[in-house]
Amino acid sequence: MSDDLPLRRTYLQQVVHDTLVPVASRLGLAWVVCLAFFAVTAPFIANSHPILMQEAGRWSSPMLKSLEPADIVLPVAAIAAAVLLVRRKLSAGQGLGMVAWVSAVTYAATAWPSVRPYYATLRGARLELLSVWAAWTLLGFAGAMVAMMIVLLPIFVLPRRATMVASACLAPLVVLTLVFPVRPPELVVYERYRQKEKSGQITSVLRTLVPYSANDRLRDQPELRLTPPRRGHPLGTEPNGADVLSRMIHASRIALSIGFIATGIAVVVGVIVGGLMGYFVGTVDLLGMRLIEIFQAIPRLVLLVAITASYGRSLYLMMAVIGMLSWTGDARFIRAEFLKLRKEDFVQAAVAAGLPLRSILFRHMLPNGIAPVLVSASFGVASAILLESTLSFLGLGLVDEPSWGQMLNQAREGSGFNWWIALFPGAAIFLTVFAYNLVGESLRDALDPKLLKRE
Amino acid sequence: MENRFGIKDFLLFLVLAILIGMVGLAMVMFDRQYEEIQAIKKQSGEMTADMVAIRRQLAQGVVTAGGAGEARGKTEDLEVFKYVVEAQKKPDFARGDWLIDNFGTKIGRLTPVVSTDVYQTIIEGRVMEGLVTRDPQTLKFVPVLAESWEVSKDGLTMVFKVRKGVTFSDGGALTADDVVFTLNWVMNKDVNAPRARAYLEKLVEVKATGPHEVVFRFSEPYFLNFATVAEASVMPKHFYSRFKPQEFNERTGLLMGTGPYKLADPENWSPGKPIELVRNDRYWGVAPAFERLVFREVEDESASMVMFGNGELDIFGCVPEQYEKLLKDERILKMSQHLKYHNPLSGYGYIGWNQQRKVGGQVVETAFADARVRRAMTLLIDRERMAKEIYLGYATVASGPFDPMSPQSNPEIKPWPYDEVKGKALLAEAGFRDVSGDGVIEGPDGKPFSFKLTYPSGSATYERMVLFVKDGLARAGIKMELEPLDWPVMLDKLKKSEFDACALGWGGVVESDAYQIFHSSQIAGEADNRTHYINKKLDAVIEEARRTIDDEKRMKLWHEVHRILHEDQPYTFMFNRPALVFLNGRLANVGQTKLGLNYVRLSALPIPWYVPKGAQKYTR
Amino acid sequence: MLSYLIRRILLIVPTLIGATALIFFVMALAPVSITDALLSREGNLQPGERKAREEYLNRRYGLNKPLPVQYFRWLNAISPVGVKEKGAGFPASWKVGVKWPDLGNSFKQARPVGPIILEALPVTLLIQTISMPLSIAIAIMSGIWAAKHRGKLQDVATGTVLLGLWSLPVIWVAVMLIGYLANVHYLKWFPAAGLHDPRAGSMSFFPGHGSAGYLLDSLWHLVLPVTCLTYGSFAFLSKLTRASLLDTLGADFIRTARAKGLSERVVLYRHALRNSLLPLITVFAGILPALITGSIVVEKVFSVPGMGRLVIDSLLAQDRELFLSVATITLLLQLTGFLLMDIAYAIADPRVSYE
Repeated sequence: MSDDLPLRRTYLQQVVHDTLVPVASRLGLAWVVCLAFFAVTAPFIANSHPILMQEAGRWSSPMLKSLEPADIVLPVAAIAAAVLLVRRKLSAGQGLGMVAWVSAVTYAATAWPSVRPYYATLRGARLELLSVWAAWTLLGFAGAMVAMMIVLLPIFVLPRRATMVASACLAPLVVLTLVFPVRPPELVVYERYRQKEKSGQITSVLRTLVPYSANDRLRDQPELRLTPPRRGHPLGTEPNGADVLSRMIHASRIALSIGFIATGIAVVVGVIVGGLMGYFVGTVDLLGMRLIEIFQAIPRLVLLVAITASYGRSLYLMMAVIGMLSWTGDARFIRAEFLKLRKEDFVQAAVAAGLPLRSILFRHMLPNGIAPVLVSASFGVASAILLESTLSFLGLGLVDEPSWGQMLNQAREGSGFNWWIALFPGAAIFLTVFAYNLVGESLRDALDPKLLKRE
Repeated sequence: MENRFGIKDFLLFLVLAILIGMVGLAMVMFDRQYEEIQAIKKQSGEMTADMVAIRRQLAQGVVTAGGAGEARGKTEDLEVFKYVVEAQKKPDFARGDWLIDNFGTKIGRLTPVVSTDVYQTIIEGRVMEGLVTRDPQTLKFVPVLAESWEVSKDGLTMVFKVRKGVTFSDGGALTADDVVFTLNWVMNKDVNAPRARAYLEKLVEVKATGPHEVVFRFSEPYFLNFATVAEASVMPKHFYSRFKPQEFNERTGLLMGTGPYKLADPENWSPGKPIELVRNDRYWGVAPAFERLVFREVEDESASMVMFGNGELDIFGCVPEQYEKLLKDERILKMSQHLKYHNPLSGYGYIGWNQQRKVGGQVVETAFADARVRRAMTLLIDRERMAKEIYLGYATVASGPFDPMSPQSNPEIKPWPYDEVKGKALLAEAGFRDVSGDGVIEGPDGKPFSFKLTYPSGSATYERMVLFVKDGLARAGIKMELEPLDWPVMLDKLKKSEFDACALGWGGVVESDAYQIFHSSQIAGEADNRTHYINKKLDAVIEEARRTIDDEKRMKLWHEVHRILHEDQPYTFMFNRPALVFLNGRLANVGQTKLGLNYVRLSALPIPWYVPKGAQKYTR
Repeated sequence: MLSYLIRRILLIVPTLIGATALIFFVMALAPVSITDALLSREGNLQPGERKAREEYLNRRYGLNKPLPVQYFRWLNAISPVGVKEKGAGFPASWKVGVKWPDLGNSFKQARPVGPIILEALPVTLLIQTISMPLSIAIAIMSGIWAAKHRGKLQDVATGTVLLGLWSLPVIWVAVMLIGYLANVHYLKWFPAAGLHDPRAGSMSFFPGHGSAGYLLDSLWHLVLPVTCLTYGSFAFLSKLTRASLLDTLGADFIRTARAKGLSERVVLYRHALRNSLLPLITVFAGILPALITGSIVVEKVFSVPGMGRLVIDSLLAQDRELFLSVATITLLLQLTGFLLMDIAYAIADPRVSYE
């Protein structure tokens, strides 16, 4: 009898299930997961610092010593997310909250050693007054955010048991970081390891899979500069000497982080503006539409180039700008959904019951209207990655970090066409954008009411 | 039902669109051809006018030896045309064909005096001439529009005799009034030429004391006085006086002179139009071989290399990598010739260490104020290796701001060799040691030694150089961050002294004046001493050198300047690089001179190249 | 309908003002001031000179006034309805009226902006007006084909291939095309740069007289840039055509037509297609703004002197007047595109009304 009842799924779960039915979107998701894996484990698989080495009788792990806070936070967050997905004990919102909390705790544990020197630099800064103020505000703001997340999330969002389990798992990590503070070296001379190994100073060594860092320009092997794929460098080397494979792996970090964070900002801003517009029609709607039109009219690439050319290149600036120029689509969707939903019974009931505004908007209306925004977010990540690549291609990207678009630009150097620098990074951009588009397409098909009716 | 759009309509629309597109293309093409026809008509009109004038002269019985003829008869003997006449004596000499040169950037303006870029100067050099120019082999001044000159012993008065019988490309005669007009025009405050004016600050007065005689008077002796007034391109008064200074500043294509070439339309060139110089049929001197000089504006390096390979460009200046690549290309070698030559005009690259910065409104001395630190930086940068790896050996390490082949450079001074140990020792002496053990050295104030290097963005070579320096300094425990900036932003920062160190270059001249860059008076305002370098002893030597008119004595003083700069290292002088150029194989009589290629871009000397009849490409 | 049109056209104005204000202030608040950028280009100046130059520039371009004043001054200059200064001495001789928009003078090139844009615009228009009809034509044909073979392997495969085409980054395609197809070392099928041969002025229009002719030469130079611009939009439009065609094919009147006994071909081309072109038309109008921004990368890689290159050059040179004019034109195109979209929708579908 109970076998005859259809499986109960929430709307969201049904949508996710339908999205993953077509082969194409599964492949796309697989690529994204692959990329995320590379992004998370980048310093562990592509690093010039050996994992283990024995020098003068003493064992040490330069790789572990060179880790930055982000290198530790990402794997921890990824593990937490994986565990949650497998166990499925928490709802979507709670799951997100748990991942955020775990990340915040890990970040606080790993970043505290670098606050003091940062603070010291700021105090005696040789910078413009404005930059100093900006740096102080940023420091304060970031610190406050992290502290808030650590304290407030377990209280308001997360279930008691889950928090306790997570704390138990994190405790050893926190203790470890107290004993061995995370302090990446300021200066690295990459070729020293190879030179010492050759001279016999280092007796035994265990290296990462790709034994080159993104910024290791092979100063001890200048003849390997700008060579096509060969033994030891499966994707060749670039004009400054660094290994292409390593740079591509590290560039996936930049690509994914810009994609996610910029789209995240766009979604948040879009949802808020669109929600307010859709709920309070009238003047708010009129003004909001003008605002949307203004932001939609501005060509994104042009404004991005303008800002980078005038204000300088910074990862955070880029993320913020891309996010602030992409929110209009989400706002329109949310507005349309909310216009439909505000007449629904359950919303009227919530209003009549006197629930606070944020509860009505975010707890009642939003989960029902979020669907098109998910589609838009998927395409949005793809377009953010494309935008950043184009900006780097035009020569206005980041300086120290590797980027696929910047590598593509290097392929066209005056001395001719370097096919391996054009093919691989370009293919990486293509596959990533394609993957997100595939997932977005099938998400859209899954949400299409006409298709649903046909089933 | 209403008839809606169907496939037929769409096809119709498509065909219509294609037709419109073709008509558009045809219109553009007709426009260009129309311009060419206009130019031809104008040319033939001028020729007719000349013929009429000559006929009239003959009818009046004027003997050709005298007046214009006199000038023409003697021109072949003039020193300035020596090389061209030699070329003409060669057996396969032929007139005709075009020369296609390439500027790597878009040109905004051709108007003389108000333009600031080197490309405009090149074009100006073909269309206009000055009183004298420099012989590329002997480096002496030879008369062009001047017949002779006299300089007083104290260097304060100069008298020039202007050549008779010379006309501008529109037929107007050259007189001393044109010279006076030219100098006064530059001195006119409303004309947008502050840089040119700066060099003329010692000029008190210029006067025409006869139809073909000009007198210059200066307030102070200065070794560049002569060159500045004598090499200035003479502007035709009757042509340029029609424009008010404001209009002159804004016009983009006002270019007319006495030179061997001219713009087909001397008034109306604007950016976007092709830059083509045609032969000036009224040229007073020996007629040049090329019928037309075309200057293309292909910015993309790989595109220009491909175009050279296709024969669409005749001159291709390369960076070392391209040069080596082309040397290995059989097909290219068959259709071209190549040269590596020393070009004193190419200048030198450097890294400037800023000694003073504004921090939070206060002026603070940086770590680079200590000469030991600067010298250490030079010792810690392996310039020899960079020359080998980045420039493939096509660069020599520089030891000072003077051209190493010129007499200004002190032959006893060799650049500091790369020495990591000595560099670190010097830093330790200045108080920079790694106290904290984190790999970064700290200064006497306990702060880690870290600075930003500012450099122009967009150049792959700069990037390589800068990354090399960064990795090299890292070995010594110095943290260097990169700051690539676009030109306007960078120039602004340099001017406001908002930089720690900058990697740039200076162009060269035959004899450079170290005053602008290294004298302590040049720190304030817009001047070029951007690193706040103050050395009183050096100031004194430079001032004396500027005053010295005697060449030998002056060179000795420049040697002293070189020595002081070598000890003090306000800049780390990086490289002098030879010019590498590939030329189309059909060009004949290509050679080298002390000023570089014998097609000297920046001189008014006529081009001694030609293309033999059989090899001509653009004219038959 | 007319009132709606007028209302929409009028509404363009505040949006335009808002967007240009945003761009203006973003550029103006940059750490580099225009005066400095201009002055620094002129090299060695004596301290007294500098003062004089600064005054001159400030007088000409009004650069020392507060930012909002500068913005409104520019806005006033560029709008066709504004305040005209009649001679010296104000305000008595000011007059509000209709006037020609004055786009200002480019800082870097020191000449009026109008001619600069007029030189670059036709180049961009040439490439775009060739690529747009091309992409629409291919899109419609492939969309019909996919709809005909709906559900079969061809359809799914085509759909994925088209999505793949749409995901191909322009920067990659341009670099690969120029690296392989325009490269002497691989296949030298196409030229690498520019839009015509240096001898174009002396060439005849049609082939002959020893040269390929201006027409063929231009077309040969245009192939690669147009390909780069076409593939993305045709992929997108093709999917759109297919989707809308499938929608229409499910309607009642189509069933009637089939029941009447009409052949599938007639049903498809005469009845279904016309009605399904609607979304195509509307989206096409929305592509209008990409005219300029879409060609930025292509123009850079292929050295084409069009509007896209103008945008980048003016931005990197901090040439505010030029950039603002170009940005305004782009914005105008964008907003006009939206308007045309709505109008086209209203015309094409009698069910839609804006009252």
